[in-house]
Amino acid sequence: MKLQHSLGGLEGLGPVDFQKKVFVEPWEKRIFGIHTAMMGLSIHLKEALPEYPIDQVPTAFKDIWTWADLRRGAEAMNPFDYFKLRYYEKWLGGISGFFVEKGYLSQEELNQKTNFYLKEGNVDPTPLPQKDIPGIDEQVIKYLELGDSPKRDIDIQPGFVVGDAVVVKNMPAAEHTRLPGHLRGKPGIVDLVYDGCYAYFPGPSDGLGPAQPSYSVRFDPKDIWGEDLAEQGSTFYADIFEIYLDAA
Amino acid sequence: MSIPGDEQFNYSANRELESAAKVRALESLLIEKGIIGSETVNKVLAYFESNMGPFNGARLVAKAWVDPGFKELLIRDCNAACNVLGMTTGMSGAEGEHMRVAENTVSVHNLIICTLCSCYPWPTLGLPPYWYKDPTFRARAAREPRKVLKEFGLDLDNSVDIRVWDSSGQIRWWVLPEKPAGTDHMGEAELAALVTPESMMGVAKVTVS
Repeated sequence: MKLQHSLGGLEGLGPVDFQKKVFVEPWEKRIFGIHTAMMGLSIHLKEALPEYPIDQVPTAFKDIWTWADLRRGAEAMNPFDYFKLRYYEKWLGGISGFFVEKGYLSQEELNQKTNFYLKEGNVDPTPLPQKDIPGIDEQVIKYLELGDSPKRDIDIQPGFVVGDAVVVKNMPAAEHTRLPGHLRGKPGIVDLVYDGCYAYFPGPSDGLGPAQPSYSVRFDPKDIWGEDLAEQGSTFYADIFEIYLDAA
Repeated sequence: MSIPGDEQFNYSANRELESAAKVRALESLLIEKGIIGSETVNKVLAYFESNMGPFNGARLVAKAWVDPGFKELLIRDCNAACNVLGMTTGMSGAEGEHMRVAENTVSVHNLIICTLCSCYPWPTLGLPPYWYKDPTFRARAAREPRKVLKEFGLDLDNSVDIRVWDSSGQIRWWVLPEKPAGTDHMGEAELAALVTPESMMGVAKVTVS
């Protein structure tokens, strides 16, 4: 059981952090920009909607990088570290690790360069290298504009209709999942059948990935948390891929 | 400024400086090696200033408040509604390919969460604030939404049903908040200026003051 897949309803937590800023430190903007650029340059976009001309983009990046890769990294962390590190700190760890793992740079290079910039009390003001590559920027902005829709033109009939009683499966924990842990084994009612079939990024091993029907499922909180822990006067909805549902 | 977890964990005194140096080193190496260009990160950040942000959502909300036909379309097909208003390009772009809007009424209050990560509708709301990404919010809002909303300063009457939407699939959810009282004299631009990101994810109502 992975904590990161099962945060919903966790007890014993303190107050919510009401911070409204997107970034609490200026450096966080840079790792956000790097992650977004990687997603916009990912080679899986060759087969996306639309089919981006990835082979023609003048980048040295020749790998797949999607939300699934970022999330898998976060889900693989020691759960105590997951709570210890701030949101973008997790991104920085995961993404720099990815580049080292894939051989784009070595840990020594990264350490050396980090030590160069790490001066007493402030980051070294030496400017970044000047190497403007408009072809890369155009592709990344195009990706932001046109997106990467998971909808696929596949003729699979949904297994469930609105009003069907379903139960969320309780499958073995995978490296990465979109099965909310607190819903494992819980009964719900199909509230909406999303039109069409929806794929997911490459990578997951639990059946997520191939285009399949998707549903909005409605749950009674008492069925999820039990009478004592559920609040009155609330309803819980989750979007669930068909692979995660059984008929009740 | 207090950072979540400061009190519980032992952090290096140079925590932020180390991260700042590391990300600068990373960006520098990525540029050197031709993975990204020297302007790539800046261009991404600029895109969120001009094209993706809560200013878009606010405009859609204001229009829905004054035009019942548009409101019906927004709820039925958010992406189609975005095309009606002649908005910036990219309203169905990254993290907005399939958006849905949940309508708040006098008897129903909607709250959007993502227990698995931090899925957020980029074109209409921009990037998520820290409270939305906070694991404590994600965990607690799932099971005790009324209590969490009260901590946000939103004390809902017991007669109001709270609907919690866990963005665990392909849909990027957001909320059409209720139009506040005392705004009948306002035009769309004035109404849009009242709409906050918090109200469009369900942790606040729109108020006039």
